[in-house]
Amino acid sequence: MIPSVSPPRSTTIAAIEKQLRDLWTQTPGEISQARACTMNLVVVASRDVADRYLPIVDEVVLSTPARAILVALEPDAATSILEGDVSAVCGIEENASCSERVRLFASGAVCARVGSAVEALLVPEIPTALVWLARVHVDDPVFSALADDANRVVLDTEYTSLSSLLQLSRWARSAAGRPNIADLAWTRLAPWQEMCARFFDDPKLTGHAKKIRKLVIRQASDSGAKLGSEGALLLGWFATRLGWKMQRIGGSVRFRRPDGDTVALELRKSPMPANIAPSALTGVSVEATEDGVPITGTLNLEVEGTDAAALLVWKLDAEVPSASEQRVRLSANKGARMLERTLHRPANDPALAESALFAEEIYEEGLVVQ
Amino acid sequence: MSANPLRSGLIDDRTGDACSVVIFGASGDLTRRKLMPALYNLGVGRFLPGAFAVVGVARREKSNDDFRKEMKEGVEKFSRRKPIDQAVWSDFEKGISYVPGTFEDPKTYQKLKEHLAEIDKERGTRENRLFYLAVSPSDFPSIVNGLKEANLVESTPQKWTRVVFEKPFGHDLASATDLNNTIRRVFHEDQVYRIDHYLGKETVQNLLVFRFANSLFEPIWNREHIDHVQITVAEEIGVEGRGKFYEQTGVTRDIVENHLMQLLCLMAMEPPISLDADAVRDEKVKVLKSLRPMERTAVAENVIRGQYGRGFVRADEVPAYREEPDVAVDSRTETYVAMRVFIDNWRWGGVPFYVRAGKRLSRRVTEIAVQFKKVPHTLFHAGDGGITPNVLAMRIQPDEGIAIRFTTKEPGQQTILRDVAMDFRYGTAFGSNTPEAYERLLLDAMRGDATLFTRGDEVIEQWAFIDHVFDAWAKGGNAPPPAYPAGSWGPEQADDLLAKDGRRWRKP
Repeated sequence: MIPSVSPPRSTTIAAIEKQLRDLWTQTPGEISQARACTMNLVVVASRDVADRYLPIVDEVVLSTPARAILVALEPDAATSILEGDVSAVCGIEENASCSERVRLFASGAVCARVGSAVEALLVPEIPTALVWLARVHVDDPVFSALADDANRVVLDTEYTSLSSLLQLSRWARSAAGRPNIADLAWTRLAPWQEMCARFFDDPKLTGHAKKIRKLVIRQASDSGAKLGSEGALLLGWFATRLGWKMQRIGGSVRFRRPDGDTVALELRKSPMPANIAPSALTGVSVEATEDGVPITGTLNLEVEGTDAAALLVWKLDAEVPSASEQRVRLSANKGARMLERTLHRPANDPALAESALFAEEIYEEGLVVQ
Repeated sequence: MSANPLRSGLIDDRTGDACSVVIFGASGDLTRRKLMPALYNLGVGRFLPGAFAVVGVARREKSNDDFRKEMKEGVEKFSRRKPIDQAVWSDFEKGISYVPGTFEDPKTYQKLKEHLAEIDKERGTRENRLFYLAVSPSDFPSIVNGLKEANLVESTPQKWTRVVFEKPFGHDLASATDLNNTIRRVFHEDQVYRIDHYLGKETVQNLLVFRFANSLFEPIWNREHIDHVQITVAEEIGVEGRGKFYEQTGVTRDIVENHLMQLLCLMAMEPPISLDADAVRDEKVKVLKSLRPMERTAVAENVIRGQYGRGFVRADEVPAYREEPDVAVDSRTETYVAMRVFIDNWRWGGVPFYVRAGKRLSRRVTEIAVQFKKVPHTLFHAGDGGITPNVLAMRIQPDEGIAIRFTTKEPGQQTILRDVAMDFRYGTAFGSNTPEAYERLLLDAMRGDATLFTRGDEVIEQWAFIDHVFDAWAKGGNAPPPAYPAGSWGPEQADDLLAKDGRRWRKP
């Protein structure tokens, strides 16, 4: 849905506060618009990422009314600038409510003061989510100032790194009252996890889950590319759910099941459709045999044109009376939907912490796709 | 499904168990308008298991393809997600099939049994069956017994059978008791899901969250602080061509005995020890058992009924109830009822609960309004009647939300008091594309969670209370209900019911 956005008004912090008030001051004859605010949504990114993320924020605040504060940072710039503008973002349907969106741009030395600027603009008494779309350093004063005010910190390991996620998780656990940590890449994996779990839902196949002998992960990349975050997290998820251990023998990596047998891992490249992010997951297949009965489950991403949301096509080849093929639609406008879903998911997800820990080990091995 | 290690710790996991959903009454409006769109939307949301099938059962002969086509039209028209997703639909419709047959004929159940066995083989539905009785209550016994005779009712640790009953569940205490007994001869209570779709509404579920997840309100949720409670279920529409049905039902059976009593229970119940289905339902039953019985003389004093006459609703002229098709010209069926109810327990002793439900009222609204006591001493100069008491209004529909009315000072040199409302609206805060009640309830039934369904003893207690009212009306010669103009808030006598207590109805 395309929101209606009022023309921005550029200004500084004191003036931004005034403009936020003025945004809702009715003039005689003007039709009043309802505004709503259920959270502060603070997004921090480099300038180009912030520009790309703007439509995502506008889309998210239509369904999760918020005061969105989008901060673009250029700390290495020679000149110190802090400027911003304010807009109302409104749904286009009748009686739709409006959210407030503040854009801040900081460059040079003034970047260190962004935490204080954002704090002044937060709506009190409601939760704050910090979406950090840059590499995370927990001792970064801007990050720590903003994270201190947040209930949840969201990052995207596809754009930062698994190390960032782990560093952040450790920091969050190190003291009481720290925010919960979420990862957009992990949210993107949810339908993959659900559909992979379905391979083993039939009671006759549940035992096969512990007898996986081959796992193939496909990602949108060329040969020789490193395994991306989504693939690494999915591998970590399989491994931690099924008790696999990683072993290094003679410089190569292998995975051992609890019963001692090996799981063969293949990482494969797949074509990169225009609307799929680099290194995004495009397919998974599992092969398992128990009591001499083999099964093969495959899950493939299908993209129909550039506008349509992708389909996940699930196939199970097994000697059981189950549906052999199923298709589920992934959400359109994935960026906005993923952020929205991440903001609404339960804040504490132990499976993410466990999977990320395992994924980092994999990541450090520098596994590459063939 | 918990044995699947890949499901361990999946935080979004709300997938239903592999099963066949068998809808009796598949040609009816409910199937096309509500059930099939709800199932389709569960599919779109990835809540349906891969091994899933829907079987329609109804009297009319039709092919699987015809049934699928009808259902697709229903989904296209009534689904909250539009347009239909062809890729998802094409998978979904592969699991849809149809078995024609009358509910009284044992052959229908034999055919169904063979058909379900085929589906188990083809689709892996593992002999799990959810029977949904979207039929008139008079058909319940035939279907229940037919299923039993065909050996389609067994639940074991390996496979489950559940049965969902649409309301109304009986038409009085005796018939509800009979029905419960018929069902219990065939099914265990934990296999039985009596649906009250109000319980599937987000805002009704939110009542529990609001009360038991906010420490602010529970300490004042009692006779010490609450003056009275008003529960309103008002409709603008009339009987909408269902005159025959309504003549046998009336608003008391249609709304009060089920929806309204459930709202009353959720509003008044004690905190359950957990959210386990029986823990919640135990507390609701305690409320129902605490309702002060309506002896015959008490009915005259505490219950007002009415029947709509001609009038204007939203500026449109509408006919009187007695002018509706299939309604007797001298009908005594009530289209409005208001009651003053007391819950005789420690928390609510002496607090009146004024409840009302009606058709062709001024506007469509369902709400629970809690009026708190007045401040004990007036410090400020206030207009007539002193300072207005605080009101907490929980709106169930439309514009679902919660509003608190309180008093503030108007800006200026003088201390002038003004009532303002703090207003939270679900649609504004969380978007409007929330799941339909039937989606939640069907998925819960597939997952074996009966929390939002009515238990047998609840239904009996509801009827036990309401039966006194019917009894008093019958013994009083079933006098014609007073008329009220369509588009009003009910008969004047309903205003008097509160006026004699020094109170008045809200105009929500």
